[in-house]
Amino acid sequence: MNDCLLELQQVSYRYPDGSLGLNDCSLAIRRGSRNVLIGANGAGKTTLFQHANGLLRPQTGVVRYAGAAVDYGRAGLRRLRSRVGLVFQNPDRQLFSASVAEDVSFGPLNLGLDTASVRRRVADALAAVGMGEFGGRPVHNLSFGQKKRVCIAGVLAMQPELLILDEPMAGLDHAMQQELLAVLDKLHGRGITLLLATHDIDFAYRWAERIHLMAAGRCTATLAAGELGSHGAELAAVGLPLPEIITLQRALAGQGLLPAGARPRCAADLLAALNQTKESPCQFALI
Amino acid sequence: MLIEQAAYANRWRAISPAAKGLFAAAGFVAVFAAGRPLTAALVAGGLALLTVVGAGIPAARYLRVAAPALFFLALGSLSLAFSLDVSAGAPHWRLAPGGLDQLAETGSRSLGALAALLFLVLTTPLSDLIGLLRRLKAPELLLDIMVLCYRTLFVFSAAVHDTLTAQSARLGYATPRLALRSLGQLAANLTLQVWQRAAALHVAAQARNNDGPLCFLTPDFADSRRHCALAGLAGLALISLAVSLR
Repeated sequence: MNDCLLELQQVSYRYPDGSLGLNDCSLAIRRGSRNVLIGANGAGKTTLFQHANGLLRPQTGVVRYAGAAVDYGRAGLRRLRSRVGLVFQNPDRQLFSASVAEDVSFGPLNLGLDTASVRRRVADALAAVGMGEFGGRPVHNLSFGQKKRVCIAGVLAMQPELLILDEPMAGLDHAMQQELLAVLDKLHGRGITLLLATHDIDFAYRWAERIHLMAAGRCTATLAAGELGSHGAELAAVGLPLPEIITLQRALAGQGLLPAGARPRCAADLLAALNQTKESPCQFALI
Repeated sequence: MLIEQAAYANRWRAISPAAKGLFAAAGFVAVFAAGRPLTAALVAGGLALLTVVGAGIPAARYLRVAAPALFFLALGSLSLAFSLDVSAGAPHWRLAPGGLDQLAETGSRSLGALAALLFLVLTTPLSDLIGLLRRLKAPELLLDIMVLCYRTLFVFSAAVHDTLTAQSARLGYATPRLALRSLGQLAANLTLQVWQRAAALHVAAQARNNDGPLCFLTPDFADSRRHCALAGLAGLALISLAVSLR
């Protein structure tokens, strides 16, 4: 089995109006990994996603899926889109059926599945995003966060190997973000490879295994999240600061409150590390 | 919105749309089979009562939904009953020959047809009706247009509301002149949004492997056959009653 699920090799794309989409962009997504694509507005994240799903075709370069170059014929695109699910940023631009269950059924029906299988997939997908009770509801009566979840269910029902979400946290309040993260964790636990676009470096550091930096249509670096602290220069080059938790951990380590080797990824990790240090007699002596 | 709210929150929401459609069709037939205007009016009243009491639609909401149709019906009926006489001297209105009979017949039948239609749309969400039409093999293109129009209706209603609020917040409607200009800008903005959203929906459909008609799962209704049989019997009873009261 090919370890690299999706690969872009020196892909360039310019929109018909002349604006730059991608510029010699290369990127690899490993099977089963949690990835974040981070970059400023207009960096080319959405364009890259549309290449991954076959909605856009590279003008130069190659897109490979599971080791093979993407076939842009009708059958090839059908195969690709059944394996790569794309959730758009604005749910109102993705949902076009009146009821939740109908909209979720759209993708599986396009795959040519029989009605019984589609009903099963719709029920499973809605349950996976915690919307099992909402199948008969009209889409326009849902909250923004619920619409986002229906969008994810609509793509999940196609049972993709790679799930791509374009800025899934945009417009969600804290509670909705936590709910969505729980859904994503569950999906990752089921073996689905995840790729998210975000502007939030703190979230990226907390959640992802691999972080891909993008600027001006190009993927400038791919970093293991755990090693982000030693790549401040790469982050600065795309206008991003180090995650706050790293800055705080360094300051605490400088004060002797934390061991220098500690690598907390979130506030909860940091607090746990601090409590652990307090309980240790030798660290207590240091304080 | 009133129709939408009633359709999703009535006692007969879970009843098969085929059964409700069958009964509404029987209502239409009964109204036209009725020999006397009074019978047609009775059928209309019965259908309205059934919608309000049976399905639990609040009477006030029912009347508000029916009001525009009743207004047009009243206008049409008056034009049937009266005619403009220009034969002698100054033109004046007079009762048309046989006008009252015509008014009673057409008015009562129209009322009955309206009551049958309201029974269906106030108890059945449009998505279920589209599902029913799909089962009845209505043309795919028509159904696709219905689906998209229905969904975009709410999207654009939200867009209009947001734009109006944003314009009002910056005094866009402070004077009649400004209001006219703001309305023009709103229309221009919406036209652009229609085009952009249509393109976005097309891309979203492609991303989910669509390359032809828009296919959706038709909702399943428990006891559909029993409900259809009951609706059929009730419809037959209604038609028989209308015919027997000649």
